[in-house]
Amino acid sequence: MSKGVNMKNRLVTLAGGAAALSLVLSACGSGSEDGASSDDYKVIVLGGIGGEGVLADNALTSVNSAQAGVKFVNKSGGVDGRKVTIKVIDDSADPTVAVTKLREAINSDKPDLVLNSGPSTVSDATLPILKQNKILSFNIGPTQTSSDPKQFPLNFDLSASAGDQIQAYLPYFGEKGYKKVGVLHGSSSYGEVFAKSSEEIFSKGGLEVTANKEYDVAALDMSAQLAAIRDTKPDVLVLDAYGAPLGYVLKGLEKLGWDIPVIGNTSVSATGIISTEPPSGVLGTAVVKNLVMQVYKSTKFDPAATGVNNAVKTMKGIGPIKATLILAYNYDALPLVAAAAEKAGSSEPADIAKALEDSSVQESADTVILTRYNFTADDHAPNPNADEFAFIPPSKLKDGQFQ
Amino acid sequence: MTLIWGGLALGAVYALVAIGYNIVFIASKTFNFAQAQLMMVGAFVAYSGLVTWDLPWPLVVLMAGVVVAVVAAIEERIAIRPVKDVHNVLVTTLGASIFLDGAVQLIWGSQPLTVPFFGGNDAVTIAGGRAYPVEIALIVIVILLVGALVLISRRTMVGLVLLGMSEDREAAQLRGVNVRAMALSAFVAAGAIAGLLGLFVGSKTFAVSTLGAALALKGFVVLAIGGFGSIPGVLVGGTLVGLVEAYASRYLGGEYANLSVFLILIAVLLARPAGLFVRSKERVV
Repeated sequence: MSKGVNMKNRLVTLAGGAAALSLVLSACGSGSEDGASSDDYKVIVLGGIGGEGVLADNALTSVNSAQAGVKFVNKSGGVDGRKVTIKVIDDSADPTVAVTKLREAINSDKPDLVLNSGPSTVSDATLPILKQNKILSFNIGPTQTSSDPKQFPLNFDLSASAGDQIQAYLPYFGEKGYKKVGVLHGSSSYGEVFAKSSEEIFSKGGLEVTANKEYDVAALDMSAQLAAIRDTKPDVLVLDAYGAPLGYVLKGLEKLGWDIPVIGNTSVSATGIISTEPPSGVLGTAVVKNLVMQVYKSTKFDPAATGVNNAVKTMKGIGPIKATLILAYNYDALPLVAAAAEKAGSSEPADIAKALEDSSVQESADTVILTRYNFTADDHAPNPNADEFAFIPPSKLKDGQFQ
Repeated sequence: MTLIWGGLALGAVYALVAIGYNIVFIASKTFNFAQAQLMMVGAFVAYSGLVTWDLPWPLVVLMAGVVVAVVAAIEERIAIRPVKDVHNVLVTTLGASIFLDGAVQLIWGSQPLTVPFFGGNDAVTIAGGRAYPVEIALIVIVILLVGALVLISRRTMVGLVLLGMSEDREAAQLRGVNVRAMALSAFVAAGAIAGLLGLFVGSKTFAVSTLGAALALKGFVVLAIGGFGSIPGVLVGGTLVGLVEAYASRYLGGEYANLSVFLILIAVLLARPAGLFVRSKERVV
């Protein structure tokens, strides 16, 4: 991209974002505009599309993917023969707003399915309401209890936990011959969980965790922590970082002259500077020469992946994809529900929930972000298989996929 | 030595924020919570100048200085001057900082942006340690700036007037000092310095919309350690905070870095409640 047009592009992007937001809200602001009738299968998607910056981009991608999922299942006959309609609720990623608007929506026209685009605080606030009203739900912002069927029998988590993601490192490390691991993580709640899970899973997997160091997410320099990890002589550095802290870590590595393979988690892959060429970003520079990121296979463009490519095409038809495709889990919720309803011969929430625990339903559902969700009667977390993940070097991001 | 360079550079960034706090405090006895955000705006303007418009760096430095000085002047007119009670200024400048955070996010987005440094972007070896050229530049700049400000405050009429205002605003007014104009000038000067240095700070920290919040608190700690109103104090405060943060991160762990800094602050304030370089005054009542 020419340097001279960066600001212009930024303005165009802002305008495009505003236009996309208005399109999303106007096109799907209510079920009635989609020609909804009492027999339709009514879906509500909650998302913080009115939030700030990257949160809005993430939410917009989640909402966009839900709308694309609806289009996909309607082409195949809907849910249990019922046409699916979708209504978007902008909760500004604020639990108070989400609770108020969800209650209003339930009181005016009770939905059959609610898709929650996160964050976890919104899930925490809305799940009890959904449980009280016996509404089937899928959730991108997992909480400590959201995947527990005893607590929320009609809720299913779509996003992989930190543990699921770390589990997938083991075969990759085996392939590369890494035996000693250093971990650097942020002080965010996710970073803490990531650190704890890393320690447990790597140790169980026969790896030695030589150091597990934390940095403050508001800090401006991580060289000190990196120096401390370097002294323990690991074979590989596992990194949890998002935004500016990722830049500080990469700068710190270069400053120390530490030539070590770095495996970034999915937060690393979602940070713009690593998929942007200089001078704005660091793609292709020496600081990322040792960096490999963990992503879902669907987040890496593959011309042969017809299902994902069709989903991306449908999403692009609805609006620009402004975040990585890892935020597009909502797409998968619809084929999962359609397959479960077909198996159950019913669109009742309890019947669909029961069918979703059936492995044949999970196998037959045309999901694309994850090819397989492994829900069980005891655990409504997706528990993705290790082969759902790929480890790739940074590259340009286009339509939510690394090229 | 790498750790020392890193700590000193970090301390220099905090000290630069604290210098801005001090200039405003000396002139108007108010605390501008948005000072760190002004520096953040400077970093973003530097990014636009260098990357988007591909301008030469001296022009970018000047442009950022002018832009941020204007922003600071607007802040003074809107968030400071109309406020009758000086205590409410804390709230209005906090509001200004939140506004600036939102504004930069709207204009430049929330992802970090690289601000290239004209002196090179590769780490170099100096005195047995590794550092980026911009880190050395920041250390040199803060020393020169403190020296210049000390000279100005002791050798020039403007400096003496500001010190006089700091001692007794009403007495200065009675001596014919236009305290309002001086307060505005101090605000603009603090903004201009923040803008001029935006390129250097942004090269170290990236231009990112969370930068203001990250710098504000540590800048305040540096100010409190050195003493409110003491320009040389920020040099000592910045060095102390930067090195303590770096060494605590290295040998105790990142989770103890802030804790260690605040323990130092508490220890300093217990020993010298007005800061290391400001004497407490007794009042006869």
